[in-house]
Amino acid sequence: MLNVQQLTISFPDRTLFEQASFQAADGELVAIVSQVLDGGTSLMQALAGMLSGLEGQIILNGVDVLTMGPGERAQSIGYAYEEHGLISLYNVFQNIALPLEFHTNLDVRETETRIVSLLDELGVNHALLTAQPHELNDVQTRMVNLVRAQVMNPSHVLIDELEGGMPDDMIDSVMLALKERKAKTGQTIIMTTSDDHILREADRVLKIHDRQLLEQIE
Amino acid sequence: MENQSPRPEQRQTWSVRGMLSGTLYPFWALFNAVSEIIGLISVALGASRLLFNRKRFQIFCALFFRQLYNTGIKALYPNGAVAILIGALLMARLFQYLPVQVVENQFGYLFMVIVFRELGPLISGVILIARSATAVTSEIGYLRLRREFQVLNGLGISPVFLFLFPVFVSFPVSLLLMFIYFDIVVFLSAYFMIWLADPNAQFVLMLISILDQITMNEIAVNLLKALMGGVLIGVISIYFGAKVESSFGEVSAAISNSTTTQLLVFFVINVLLSLLAYTQ
Repeated sequence: MLNVQQLTISFPDRTLFEQASFQAADGELVAIVSQVLDGGTSLMQALAGMLSGLEGQIILNGVDVLTMGPGERAQSIGYAYEEHGLISLYNVFQNIALPLEFHTNLDVRETETRIVSLLDELGVNHALLTAQPHELNDVQTRMVNLVRAQVMNPSHVLIDELEGGMPDDMIDSVMLALKERKAKTGQTIIMTTSDDHILREADRVLKIHDRQLLEQIE
Repeated sequence: MENQSPRPEQRQTWSVRGMLSGTLYPFWALFNAVSEIIGLISVALGASRLLFNRKRFQIFCALFFRQLYNTGIKALYPNGAVAILIGALLMARLFQYLPVQVVENQFGYLFMVIVFRELGPLISGVILIARSATAVTSEIGYLRLRREFQVLNGLGISPVFLFLFPVFVSFPVSLLLMFIYFDIVVFLSAYFMIWLADPNAQFVLMLISILDQITMNEIAVNLLKALMGGVLIGVISIYFGAKVESSFGEVSAAISNSTTTQLLVFFVINVLLSLLAYTQ
């Protein structure tokens, strides 16, 4: 269960969210309708514990995300970046394996097995594993980020604007894979998006309005 | 007329304040830089606690040996080439002023004073700065530019452990290796020059004449030069790389500032340690 209470995200020049609150139940897929510069990415980074100087509380399974240690956070939250997000010194395999190397005791073979099975699940080409980040296009980068966000089997996955540049049939197949995975593991998925395909697949839709998160009722 | 310009006292106050701040600013900037570099050293030392975890120790070993290979081993070629030239030049100059027999007799002492104490550390440090420290600064600068440290933090991975700590440990070790290698190659090159002048010159005798001169004091001073020089060169290269914020132009500025500062700091360390250790 993710419980966001009275969250305020402000920068020196503007306030993006002011005392915003929402909950996401276990196993729920929540879509947040996000437009350019409305603070969707900052909200996701705040939920992932990557922003400091926040007001309010982000409670994940009874623990405040902002007080979690790096290892505990990596075990609980996976974050898929909208763009970039890969370490340019490492190839795709090394990028995906990074959290496993640091936060688990898996050996090389177990790491490989887990990564390959995730690639199959999400429909990502194995040939990408040996590519360097600069060789990937935007869609491939997003997919690699998505695989890395899932690699620790976290209870919560935050996906920032998955759809950019992605054809509709690909969005549908990725959403199907994510929902299957969610059903299998009980994972909570929170996505910022402006894509109708993703909104249709969501269990619940929130929208950002006047520095608040409001329930969108169709 | 009087109302149209600031009063003379006021003008004077402004100019004095301006002069004062202009004069003091470099000292303030230097103080800030030194404090931040000391902070980086303490952060790197703090990261060593992560080594108690077996998996992280393995990761550190891989990063350390990769850095050592790039910094210490690959530098042996330029270091060796410079050492050959220095050895040959040194002998050519000595033969110009001293008879061959005197050079042979005094070879151990001359080698110790000129090469082992001063040229070896200085030239090895300059090569380390030119080859590896600039590469580290640009690497860190580009990582900052692309917000990759933020990504690592998001993954719960310490960029200090991944980038700063391996450099912090491998630079002193690399520098020490480069000192040793430089001294060996200069000796071989110098011996070759002596042998050309006097084919009867004994290799073993020349070698022993050097080993006789090496005291624990000489070794300790060279170790200290490698340790202090390596740590400071590494930390300064990361410090300037981490200053990059948002533009590619900042990366080249960082490399330039980093190289200048490292050269200055490294020369000061060498001169101070030599003066302290070898002044009677």
